[in-house]
Amino acid sequence: MKLIDWLDERLAVRQLIKVMMTEYYVPKNINFLWSFGVLIILTLTILIISGIFLLMYYKPDANLAFDSVNKTIMMDVSYGWIFRHVHAVGASIIFLLLYIHMARGIYYGSFKPPREIVWITGYVLFILMSATAFTGYLLPWGQMSYWAAQTITTLFEKIPFIGPDLVIWIRGHFIVEDPTLTRFFALHVVFLPLLLIIFTAIHLYAVRIVGSNNEDGVPIPKEEKKKKGIPFWPVFMAKEYFVMAVFLTFFFFLVFFHYEFAMDPINFTPANKLQTPPHIYPEWYFLAYYEVLRGFFFSQNLGLIAFVLSMFIAMFLPWLDKSPIVSGKHRPMFQVAFWIFILDFVFLTVLGKLPPTGLYAWLGLIGSIIFFAFFFSLPIISKIERKQIENGGNKK
Amino acid sequence: MKELKILAVLIIVVLIGYIGIEPYAKHVMHGTIPPPDFSYLDLPKFEPAGDPVKGKELFKANCASCHSLKADGIEAGMDKKTAELSFHVVPPDLSNIAAIVEPHFLANFIRDPQNATKNPKFAMPPMGYLTNDQIGDIIAYLKSKAKKELTGKEILQDACTRCHSVKYQKIQAITSKEHLKTYLGKIPPDLSLMGRAKEKEYLITFINNPQVLLPGTTMPRLGLTEEATEKVVMYLDKIADPHKEERKKIGMWVLIYMLIGVAITYAWKRKIWQKIH
Ligand code: HEM
Repeated sequence: MKLIDWLDERLAVRQLIKVMMTEYYVPKNINFLWSFGVLIILTLTILIISGIFLLMYYKPDANLAFDSVNKTIMMDVSYGWIFRHVHAVGASIIFLLLYIHMARGIYYGSFKPPREIVWITGYVLFILMSATAFTGYLLPWGQMSYWAAQTITTLFEKIPFIGPDLVIWIRGHFIVEDPTLTRFFALHVVFLPLLLIIFTAIHLYAVRIVGSNNEDGVPIPKEEKKKKGIPFWPVFMAKEYFVMAVFLTFFFFLVFFHYEFAMDPINFTPANKLQTPPHIYPEWYFLAYYEVLRGFFFSQNLGLIAFVLSMFIAMFLPWLDKSPIVSGKHRPMFQVAFWIFILDFVFLTVLGKLPPTGLYAWLGLIGSIIFFAFFFSLPIISKIERKQIENGGNKK
Repeated sequence: MKELKILAVLIIVVLIGYIGIEPYAKHVMHGTIPPPDFSYLDLPKFEPAGDPVKGKELFKANCASCHSLKADGIEAGMDKKTAELSFHVVPPDLSNIAAIVEPHFLANFIRDPQNATKNPKFAMPPMGYLTNDQIGDIIAYLKSKAKKELTGKEILQDACTRCHSVKYQKIQAITSKEHLKTYLGKIPPDLSLMGRAKEKEYLITFINNPQVLLPGTTMPRLGLTEEATEKVVMYLDKIADPHKEERKKIGMWVLIYMLIGVAITYAWKRKIWQKIH
């Protein structure tokens, strides 16, 4: 008896392969932006594997952490530096992939019914990934690690009533100290990755159930799936492998030749709680939100509220944008708003790294307002579009 | 074609962001680094020349109470402990000093160390009572004993390690921590990773004249020659990033491997997708 038959009797693998691969149809009119989900899974896998290797030498102790990373792993262990470079660049690049993945979803309306759960689980993944990156960034115990953690945890102080106690609870100490490092370590290597894997599974399950959206946002009827779609295996995956290969080439180019953006030079100085660096800034993927925090420079409280709102508002897109037209491809007004938003996000990211003084402070305020204006314009745009359709419908 | 257009838009947006947060932001934050000045012409002109034999006698009489010159078998008149108690820093051995310090600077330094180093609390007392000729003789003597070719590591040990440790190279600062703290107000940073923490241009200008980049710092200007400075900085870079060559080599191979992967996957995609449309 062949192995496949043996397995088939016990696990129904033939059926499984059919349902999941050879007879699972993906729309034909999708572009390579639909490959980014798979690229994220690929990068997540790379992060987990390189992370396990780093774990073999890393020491989560304020006295040992810096040297265990910068001496043991980077200098002494054979090829240890490759794993660190891969992990650092991977952590940075996964955010680029996530942002593109999300922008794709926003542009083509992939968050709309019936894909709300896909969107929300995706957003949870984004938040989890942010938490993972934030906790991980403390682990090398460099100057920027330390001061970024110190600055961001301080934000919780402003929460009414419980704030000050909460900060101490998070840090395990009055300031960022050894207990903070150890608990961030626990979160970074066990708890958050576990949640990431679980939510990725739910996310993928949800995508399978509702099927992929496409450029035109018009679902293919069940009967026409075979004709208008392409089978996941081998057709869709053939392209996917090509995209993956191109991505990996780019990725390893960064790992070996252009990693500075992911490994801040300041972090090669050990954490020093008595010496604040002249410029404190988070990693690039948080800069836009950080700029929203600073953008309302005249009121710290307002900035904080705006910051929290900016981090979560996109989760509510399915309820902000209820336009009957799904894909941005067929929504000229939305397109304008979308591209302003994208440019504004880049603008905020750049401003987030610049000193918040003079003109930059005002630009930050303007950028922050545009950021929110996008989200609040969506219900209006939707309404106008709905009217247009109704009027157009009447004429016919 | 359409996909290439999307890719182009993607690349443009990412590039704008990248240029903003890396080169541009760095420029705004750190400004441009002023070039170093190895002529040290802010100090009075002084072209020392003289007689090494006389210089040796002068050295013994005026310098050897604190400084050794091991290359010529001269031991310092005081031990490390005593020196620390009097100066809070251990005076360096001067065997090779003339090979690493610009002569014009060295002459000015002997006459007025506080002014030359730009550190009003610099430990060495001014030797203003020496005549120009005498200083010339001493420098001629120092020159006659100095090794001609020094490695970056040797220069570092002569110029930096009386205050700085280089932990990852198992180099401990010669002066003890408590005394350094009294002397300089803080314990100077370890140099093991300085080559990665700071850019090369920054390090060169900083060593050349610390006050230019960190006004008020207690690190003295050392008057190193251009060659010595560059060698030290190259050494710092090497020890901070010991796998540089290996990284480039492995990186090339990985990229070649990946490009083959791109070719194969592209070929397979073409084959499968021929029937579609
Ligand atoms: C670890 C993080 C994530 C992983 C591993 C992941 C993975 C995937 C995969 C494999 C797909 C199917 C292929 C594709 O359409 O690209 C997908 C689809 C999707 N994801 Fe994610 N995703 C993640 C995060 C997110 C985030 C942060 C969002 C948005 C907030 C999101 C929203 C979506 C949406 C809306 C779809 C359906 C797209 C469509 O069919 O048009 N995902 N995701």
